[in-house]
Amino acid sequence: MTTIGTPVTAPPPPRWATLIRNNASILLIYGLILLVAGTAAIMAPNFRTPTNLVNILRQSIILGLIAIGQSMVIMTGGIDMSMAMVARIVALTVATLFLAGGSDPALIVPLVVVGLIVGAAFGLLNGLLITRTHASPFIITFGIASILRGVNLAISTTPIRGIPEEYLLVYDAKIGIVPINVLVMGLLWYLVWLFSTRARTGRALFAVGGSERVARLSAINVDRTLVIAYVFSAVCAALAGLFILSRTGVGDPGTAEGMDFQSVVAVALGGISMYGGKGSLIGTLGGVLLIAMLSNVFNLLQVDIYYQQLLLGLVVLIAVAAYKSPRSA
Amino acid sequence: MSTQTASRSPVARFRGLRFSPRVVRAVDLAGQLAAPIAVVITLIVALFVAPAFYNPTNLKTVGIQIAVLGIVAIGQTLVLLVRSIDLSVSAVLALGAVIVVQTEGGSSIIVPMIEAFAIAAAVGLANGLLVTKRQVPPFIATYGMLVFIQGARMAYTRGQASGTVPELLRAISIAPVGPIPAALVVWLVVNAIVLFFLLSTRYGRWLYAVGGNPPAARYAGIRTDSVVIAAHVLCAVLAMLAGLVLSGYIGYVDLRLGADYNLNSIAAAIVGGTTFTGGRGNLWGTAAGVALLIILLNLVVVIGLPIHWQYAMQGAVLVAATALQGFRQYLLSR
Repeated sequence: MTTIGTPVTAPPPPRWATLIRNNASILLIYGLILLVAGTAAIMAPNFRTPTNLVNILRQSIILGLIAIGQSMVIMTGGIDMSMAMVARIVALTVATLFLAGGSDPALIVPLVVVGLIVGAAFGLLNGLLITRTHASPFIITFGIASILRGVNLAISTTPIRGIPEEYLLVYDAKIGIVPINVLVMGLLWYLVWLFSTRARTGRALFAVGGSERVARLSAINVDRTLVIAYVFSAVCAALAGLFILSRTGVGDPGTAEGMDFQSVVAVALGGISMYGGKGSLIGTLGGVLLIAMLSNVFNLLQVDIYYQQLLLGLVVLIAVAAYKSPRSA
Repeated sequence: MSTQTASRSPVARFRGLRFSPRVVRAVDLAGQLAAPIAVVITLIVALFVAPAFYNPTNLKTVGIQIAVLGIVAIGQTLVLLVRSIDLSVSAVLALGAVIVVQTEGGSSIIVPMIEAFAIAAAVGLANGLLVTKRQVPPFIATYGMLVFIQGARMAYTRGQASGTVPELLRAISIAPVGPIPAALVVWLVVNAIVLFFLLSTRYGRWLYAVGGNPPAARYAGIRTDSVVIAAHVLCAVLAMLAGLVLSGYIGYVDLRLGADYNLNSIAAAIVGGTTFTGGRGNLWGTAAGVALLIILLNLVVVIGLPIHWQYAMQGAVLVAATALQGFRQYLLSR
């Protein structure tokens, strides 16, 4: 139906080109992972041993749990800076209760439940404060984090002993050389990915992040969706706290320090828009794996801890500057 | 960001409560006057609960702390006014102390000072460029900067800072000027300059215009990006000045120096009536917010509570103030 005066339209780009353009950030992050892994395998021979590779996966669990929760919140256009402190208060509370209960293995299940409830409660607090007062999520959760930091120091400034031996199996139990927790974590990534792409609430998170107004006009309960996101992130933080407890074997007052920032980095690296509404959990997984791998490689190559922080900051600045995320989606 | 969507659907606005104009005015006034009123109440309560607060030595400490946080908070207010935020102030503050103290050694203090301010300006410029030209959310850009600068400082000092503080820094911090420490004079002077700047210069009015409504400001011919970048540069330079005053007061350089200034400067500005959605706020409010925060933190120590309750205190002040200002902004924007 070409008539005179109508501009000649270019033929549609091939399917694979569209596919690559739509998933550029995900391809980029996994490309980076391959690059780092390849370089590391050449420079540090003990990097490519199966034990070390499995170790990287296991080391990525803590950051992974927090980053999953952070992804959900960032998809809504918010952010949760209280995750590390929620993880810490859960770890310290559960450790204190274990000690009070005389390290009884029968306490494990009830205390895990208590830990999750404590976490969920702080998530609810965050969510309600943010939705009822219309305040900035960043500043509210930052403030809650500061309060929790003080409370955590009041709970204990020294490591709390008294975790039952059986609880340490959460970290140690293996099938062959693969720790069970790595398998469980893989399943969790898959389930949450399904949730975020298929479930109604999962899609609502994206909708709210894309445009709160449009979401509301589409009969999505925006406030409830936001509260769910913050409760979810806090429960993820609680899981991370419980996992750290089994890793260290003591209630450590330094639990999860700096983890909220690292999780934001992982999410940003994975290409989820910081303004919400766009991105995928697959990208976050890439970000988490990249950070875990980098810190593993730094340790193998014995890079100074101070330079590690410098490099982390540099990676972040480059990453956020590279992904231009315009306000208008 | 979710809270910045000014336009809400009319149906959703009136879901549930409907606020009368009187309530709106009351919340607006509360948001503006919360800090000064709270300062007066706190001072009166302190009279009964902790008379030791009024000990002259303690008052001098409080004065210097108010001055240091006050200078940082002025910069933070400027940045908040244009809808940005600066989380790298604490790193800049600590960096300044390290630069000046480390390069000391018989040589002139002037060169390291110029270096320090140049570095601060560069950091502010980088923050501003990331925020405007790359549209990175401000807290992520500046938090990344924080991690980067801290890493650079640690890599430079190898985790152990040493050295003595030059005399000049003592002169601008603890040296007495009449009955008050010099730091307070520095704070007042900076306040006066920035206040003049905000109220009586074109750039000052631009700050409010850009913060209040960026598209409108752009249509009015204001180069909004430059205004935001300039605010970030000013903020970083003021943080550097605060760092120099602080190291003059503390006397040696501690690595945890300045760690809490991010949260506290934001809290002080917001308590004082600056909203994080930009365009509203002034230095009087910020000054009152600074005084409130420092007095409360000092009372924690004077009453004899463990020091870590300071964290809880500053967090509680920040959450309460943010909730109040968020609600105020919400009501005013409807």
